[in-house]
Amino acid sequence: MATKNRSARRNFLRGIGLAGGLVRIGLPPLEAVLNSAGTAYAAAPGSKGADTPIPSRFVFWFNGNGVPERYWIPAATGPEYAMTPCLTPLTPFRDDVHVLSGLDNPAARMPGPGNDHHRSMSGLVSGTSFTGRGAGAASIDQLIAARFGGDTRFRSLQIGVCQESHGESIQRNLSWAGYERSLPPELIPHNLFDRMFGTREATWIEGKKSVLDAVRDDFRDLQTTLGKNDKRRIDDHLAAVRDLERSIASLPPDYRKASEPGLGGDVKDYPRIAKIQSDLLVHALASRQTRVASYMLTKCQSLVRLPWLGYTTLRHHDYTHTNGDTPQGQRIMRDICRWHVEEFAYLLARLKSVPEGDGTLLDHTCLLYVHEHAEANPHKNNGLPAIVAGYRKKLKTGTHTKAAGTLGDLYLTVANGILGAGIESFPTGRKAVEELVRA
Amino acid sequence: MTKLICSLLLALGANAAEESVRRLTHSQYNNTVRDLLGDHTRPADHFPPEDFLHGFKNQSRSQEISPVLAEAYNTAAERLARSAFGGGEDRAGLLPCKPAKVADRACASAFVRGFGMKAFRRPLTDAETQRYVALVLKEAARGGRFVRGAQLAVEAILQSPKFLFRVENGAYEAASDLSYFLWDTMPDRELFGAADSGELSSEAKIQAQAARLLDDPRARQALDEYVSQWLRFDQVLNTVKDRNLFPQFNIQLAAAMTEESRRLVADLVWGGKDFLDFFRADYAFINSDLATLYGLPAPATEFGMVRFPPDSERGGVLGQAAFLAMTSKPGETSPTARGLFVRDQFLCQQVPDPPPGVNSTLPPVTVDKPSTNRQRLQEHLINAACASCHVLMDPIGFGFERFDAIGQYQKKQAVMVMPPDRKMRPIRLELEIDPRASINGIPNSAFASPKELGRILADSPVCQECMVKQLFRYAFGRHETAEDRPAIEAGLGVFRKSGFRWKDLMVHYAGALAMGKGGN
Repeated sequence: MATKNRSARRNFLRGIGLAGGLVRIGLPPLEAVLNSAGTAYAAAPGSKGADTPIPSRFVFWFNGNGVPERYWIPAATGPEYAMTPCLTPLTPFRDDVHVLSGLDNPAARMPGPGNDHHRSMSGLVSGTSFTGRGAGAASIDQLIAARFGGDTRFRSLQIGVCQESHGESIQRNLSWAGYERSLPPELIPHNLFDRMFGTREATWIEGKKSVLDAVRDDFRDLQTTLGKNDKRRIDDHLAAVRDLERSIASLPPDYRKASEPGLGGDVKDYPRIAKIQSDLLVHALASRQTRVASYMLTKCQSLVRLPWLGYTTLRHHDYTHTNGDTPQGQRIMRDICRWHVEEFAYLLARLKSVPEGDGTLLDHTCLLYVHEHAEANPHKNNGLPAIVAGYRKKLKTGTHTKAAGTLGDLYLTVANGILGAGIESFPTGRKAVEELVRA
Repeated sequence: MTKLICSLLLALGANAAEESVRRLTHSQYNNTVRDLLGDHTRPADHFPPEDFLHGFKNQSRSQEISPVLAEAYNTAAERLARSAFGGGEDRAGLLPCKPAKVADRACASAFVRGFGMKAFRRPLTDAETQRYVALVLKEAARGGRFVRGAQLAVEAILQSPKFLFRVENGAYEAASDLSYFLWDTMPDRELFGAADSGELSSEAKIQAQAARLLDDPRARQALDEYVSQWLRFDQVLNTVKDRNLFPQFNIQLAAAMTEESRRLVADLVWGGKDFLDFFRADYAFINSDLATLYGLPAPATEFGMVRFPPDSERGGVLGQAAFLAMTSKPGETSPTARGLFVRDQFLCQQVPDPPPGVNSTLPPVTVDKPSTNRQRLQEHLINAACASCHVLMDPIGFGFERFDAIGQYQKKQAVMVMPPDRKMRPIRLELEIDPRASINGIPNSAFASPKELGRILADSPVCQECMVKQLFRYAFGRHETAEDRPAIEAGLGVFRKSGFRWKDLMVHYAGALAMGKGGN
């Protein structure tokens, strides 16, 4: 067993080294899981689902601390805009992205507890003010998951990269199921892989079902004896166990083909981990295990160190406030934010490399890339930049728009105008960002 | 003109308290599986991190179970059960009988009752026993081995809400309250026995059990956990310093700082000393790295006791590097953060967060305007909007200015200034420090060093009451409310009467937790 894992680990790492290349490693090659129409995996020919149309997917993408505006936001609007230093990694994807600026996060300015990062983050994800502990309502990805997640193995996935132990719930979580109900991201590639592709024996699955049956019966015993607040917590726990059951009960048929990756190499080599996590996310979306995901490259108010950029004296958040307004400080943040965009571009590249139907996986995935602040040092929460990518049949791409609306307006446009999710409302959403949608 | 008044948020949990079931904290999970299964691998260290609320990680309001946590429990349960029965052997000694056959119902029943009792911290109901016996027999038959069934029963029990949440009632609830508060782990055989025989309905018996528990090494591990949360060791260990200015700062030094704090508390509590010496002890437990940092002779043994010279400005926790470094920025001290920590942790006064959109950047230090932190922070105290709150923090923090961002003594404040010509290297200047400070709201509280502040805090009824409140919040897993006033007063009375012995306060709150539940 141990030897087998070790060789799987080697293969896995070798695969990762090919940045941009196909990830062979322990994962099932994508060709094997998708038929020519791109409709397969878990849907054997003739079975229910084999003929269903290609589903729409949504990815909510985030990194912390805001941007250096002068190096990030293009000066010109419209299709002729010039790529800025931070955005250069997106040059090959110019026709797949729509760059936005000028967005407002009004919920961040409502009086209440917390520092600016807390307040901005709660407003960013949920359009509501920070409760003192978490977001005040469900995050946009969860509102979409409520519409999209019904028949997939995972209702949604939460993926993270930088293992920063600092910070509170609001800073560590991008996805929120509801008031103060955080959905923490999976930061460890090994665990994420295991959830989706881990090797399982048939007896394991049967055993797991028996185990969870017993656990569920224990929950039923408690339903009648607890107070209201406790009942809510126990119900959340039960819902999580049910999700677990569902993910086990709906194991794809060739689940056992994949072998386990290890955690070799430097666990703080975040650029490498970011790419592994992106690869796994692409597999999860391609194999229809989920339709909605959030991806948190760094946490809100990120304190990540960035040795691969040569900046080792301080951490990201420290840099934003240590001479953050000087030319030297701005250049450091330019390099940091370009790295963020690089990782986003990597995900786009991977999505685009997977054929699906008569296009690629990127054509059926809409990605929304946001930050908690615009300019980082003053904690600016208006004039925010964002990127919407993919889904070209609905999303107008190849342009930069200075939008007048709020983040909520943007979210409603993406959710309804582009993805057709039909969510009813979002706290700060009033009107559509019309420039975003193809006529 | 609007007059801005910053009111300290004293009654954060002003609503009536709602008694709430409590989840095992990650620390309690680790200790419980150690005592239940003999597993020392600390599985919960890899769980999603817990949130601090009201200063602690054990507040029931923050104890929801997210999908990732449920999955982590699931994975951990599977691994723990597998290692307990690795290779088809009963490695953890969980089976009370030798199964005569694969489907040995009697043995399955004895195992489920015995293990279930310890895991759920109370006897199983008949329905539960049947449920788990059925699971054992079904999976034993499927796997062809009795232990396979037992393994899956353990896996199920370890992720049952009845294991993860403390939903046991009556005398068993009292037993769990005592052990999780005083030991940070499950009850032992004797405590279960006391619950079983109805002993925990008597106050004297509860006190006797509490005293017994406090004599056990597990009580030390529980106190360490309390101290590590109260004094935010997590923040000390995550502290980052500018490597150009403080090359000697590294994770080992940060760990030594927490160890110093831990040892001082342990010395006061287990040595039966006055707990308020936490603020005024004229000695420290340090290793050679800290001795270098403090300019003291190295102790005979690592973390041995060293007395400060009489002219030292250090004393108690406020002179410790853990506090001084954690509340500083990477390259410089922060009188504001130091003042805030004193308010939060030692006076139990919550200063409101800054209003949205304030620019928190201090004016830069330049060659033309070489200014100390005190001078740069003047803006906080002149600008009315800032002053209303900062007057509660900065004037405390000024008293620590003789200690730099990693807790070294400095006669003068060294600042690096940017020369007008940006191509030149920064220039190092040394500025005079004015450490005069005071605590707004506490009369006659002028001080100029950590040692002097320590004496003021130790004598202050506000600080004494805060020590009691902190333990109350930790013991009950929630913030105190107006209705808890008598409980705080009672704790304070015991604390004072005992000459501020922490063990007495722990015994008192252990009793308060367990009393009235044990009638069964």
